[in-house]
Amino acid sequence: MKPVVVVHGGAGSIVKEYEEGYISGVSQAALKGYEALKNGSNALKAVEEAVIVMEDDPHFNAGYGSVLNQEGDIEMDAIIMDGKNLMSGAVSAVRCIANPITLARLVMEKTDHVLLTCKGASQFAKSQGIPEVPTAKLITERSRERWKKNLAPGSNPLKLQLGLGTVGAVAIDGEGNVACATSTGGISNKMVGRVGDTSCIGSGGYADNAIGAVSTTGDGESIMKVVLARLILYHMEQGKTPEEATDAGLDYMKTRVDGYGGAIVINHRGEWAARFSTKQMTWAAVKDGQLQTGVYQGKVETETENPRDDHLHLH
Amino acid sequence: MDHKPVIVVHGGAWAIPDFLAESSTNGVKHAACCGFSILAQGGSSMQAVEAAVRVLEDDKSFDAGHGAVLNADGNVELDAIIMDGRNLAVGAVSCIKNIANPVTFARTVLEQCRCAMLTGDGANAFAEEMGIPNVPTDELVTEHAIKEWEQYQKYRQSVTSLFNTEKACDTVGAVAIDSHGNVSCATSTGGITNKMVGRVGDSPIIGCGGYADNLIGAVSTTGHGESIMKVTLARLVLLYMEQGKSPKDAADQALDYMKNRVHGRGGLIVVSKTGEWSASFTTKRMAWAGID
Repeated sequence: MKPVVVVHGGAGSIVKEYEEGYISGVSQAALKGYEALKNGSNALKAVEEAVIVMEDDPHFNAGYGSVLNQEGDIEMDAIIMDGKNLMSGAVSAVRCIANPITLARLVMEKTDHVLLTCKGASQFAKSQGIPEVPTAKLITERSRERWKKNLAPGSNPLKLQLGLGTVGAVAIDGEGNVACATSTGGISNKMVGRVGDTSCIGSGGYADNAIGAVSTTGDGESIMKVVLARLILYHMEQGKTPEEATDAGLDYMKTRVDGYGGAIVINHRGEWAARFSTKQMTWAAVKDGQLQTGVYQGKVETETENPRDDHLHLH
Repeated sequence: MDHKPVIVVHGGAWAIPDFLAESSTNGVKHAACCGFSILAQGGSSMQAVEAAVRVLEDDKSFDAGHGAVLNADGNVELDAIIMDGRNLAVGAVSCIKNIANPVTFARTVLEQCRCAMLTGDGANAFAEEMGIPNVPTDELVTEHAIKEWEQYQKYRQSVTSLFNTEKACDTVGAVAIDSHGNVSCATSTGGITNKMVGRVGDSPIIGCGGYADNLIGAVSTTGHGESIMKVTLARLVLLYMEQGKSPKDAADQALDYMKNRVHGRGGLIVVSKTGEWSASFTTKRMAWAGID
C-alpha cells in the first residue's frame, strides 16, 4: 500500500491576509505526516505528528492559537483513532496543555477508557508527565482580539468564528492501516464546558481499516446531529467513492440541519478526498511524494517541481 | 392520531445480581407505565422518555441519578443524553455532579443552550444558572454503591475492561414514538464503578449512547461503554435499519458486530418509525419493559 496523508486546517471563510500562513501550515503538517510514513511509522503516528504541527502553529484554532471561551480561558477537545482495532482516545474541555492530541493518544494507550474530560483529563496529563502550560502561553494576540470583539453587545461570535478552524489528519500506511486525528479550541466565546463534535467519536472523526478514515470540521453542533464522520464511512460502505460519500454526508447535513462544514477522507485503498460545503477549507495531501493543497471550491494547487525531496528537507 | 404510541425502557445490561433482579424488574415496569401514560394522553415522545428516565434515575436500584456508582475518588459523576427525532436536536451532559435528574438537565441544554453538549464544572455552572437544584453527593449515593466501590478499591490493579463489562456498569434509558410519529431517546448513567475521574462513557455521546431520527427510529444503549463508543452502536443499529432490517435483526447484528470486532457486550432498546420495537442484549441480563 502506498502511504498517503491528508490534513485540514478548518472549514469556514478565510481572511485573505492569513491565507498564505494557512497553506504553509497545512503543507508542513502533511509533509511531516508523510515523512513519518516514509520512515516506517504507522498511520496513527503520522496523524498525530501532522496534528502536532498544526497545534503548534498559531494560525490554527488548536493547541497554541486556540480561541478563548466566554471567560477568556482556553478549553480544548481532541480525538485520535486507530482503524486497525477501533481503539480510540479523546479529551474534552482540557486546559493548560500544548498538545491535546498527544494526551488523547495516551488516553487510548494507557487507560481502559476512551474519553476523559475537564479536571480528570488534566489530572491524567499530570500523571503522565505532560508539562502544564499556563493558558496565557497558549493565547495569541489574534485570539484575544477576537474574544474582546465578541464581548461587545450585539456581536456574532459565529460570524467572527469563520476561518478559525479545527485541525485534523487522516492517513494510510504501508500495511494498509488507517487512522484519524482531530484537535480544536472550539468556538470563540463559547460557554465554559461546551463540547463540540471533535472529541465525540463518529462525529469529529472515525477510522476503520475495513472502510477508511475521516476527520471533520465546521459547525460542531450540526456535525454531531448527523454523526458526520460515521455517516460518510457508511456511504463508502455502500460503494461510494470518498468524494461521493463526503459530498453525500455534507449535503445531508446542509438539508437536514442547515449545517456547513468540511471533511478529509481516505478509503482503505488509499483514495482520498478533501470536500467542504463552506466557502473555504484549507487542506493539504501527499501521495506518491506529491504535495497538493487547496483553499477554494474546485481549486487544487499541485507542487510539481522537485516534489518529494525538496519538501522533506524542510524538516 | 396516526400512530400507535410505544415506549420501551431499559435499566442496564449487565450481570444483575439476584438481590436486585426483582426491584430492577419493578423499576422498569413502573418507568414504562409512567412514560406510556404521557403518550396515551397525547404527550410527546420527548416528554415520555424524559419522564420514564426520571423514574429510573430516582430509583436506587439503578446506576443513574440516585444509586449512581462511585469513581476512583469516591465521587459521583453523571452523564446523560436526550434526542428529538423530529429535528435531530440533542442535549447532552457529561461528568456533572450533584444533580438528581441529569436527563432533565440534558433537556434544558437542548432547549436553552446553543450548544449540544456541556461538561464538568461549566455544565454545573449552567445548571445553577437555570435554577436546577444542587443535591449533596451523599444523597445520591447508596450503601450498595459504597460497598461495591470499597471492593474495587481493594482490587484496583486487577480491574480490567473485561471485568467491567459484566459486573459493574449499568445505565438507564428509554425510547418512544408518540401519536404524531415523532421518536425520541434518552439515556442516563453513573458510569462504571471505580472509573477514572473525568471518564466519559458512551451515554452522552450522540450516536453511541443514543440516537433518534424520525426517518428511521430511536435507540438507547447500555453495556460496556468503551466498546459501544468504538462501534458508535446506536447509529450503527439505525444504519442497519436504513438498509431494511427489522429493529430486532438490526439490534442483534450490531451487538454481534460489537462482540466480534471489539469483544464488548451490551444491550439496547430500539423503536422504528412504524412503532416496531425490540429489546436485545448480549450480557447475562438486561432489565427492560415495553408497552405498545
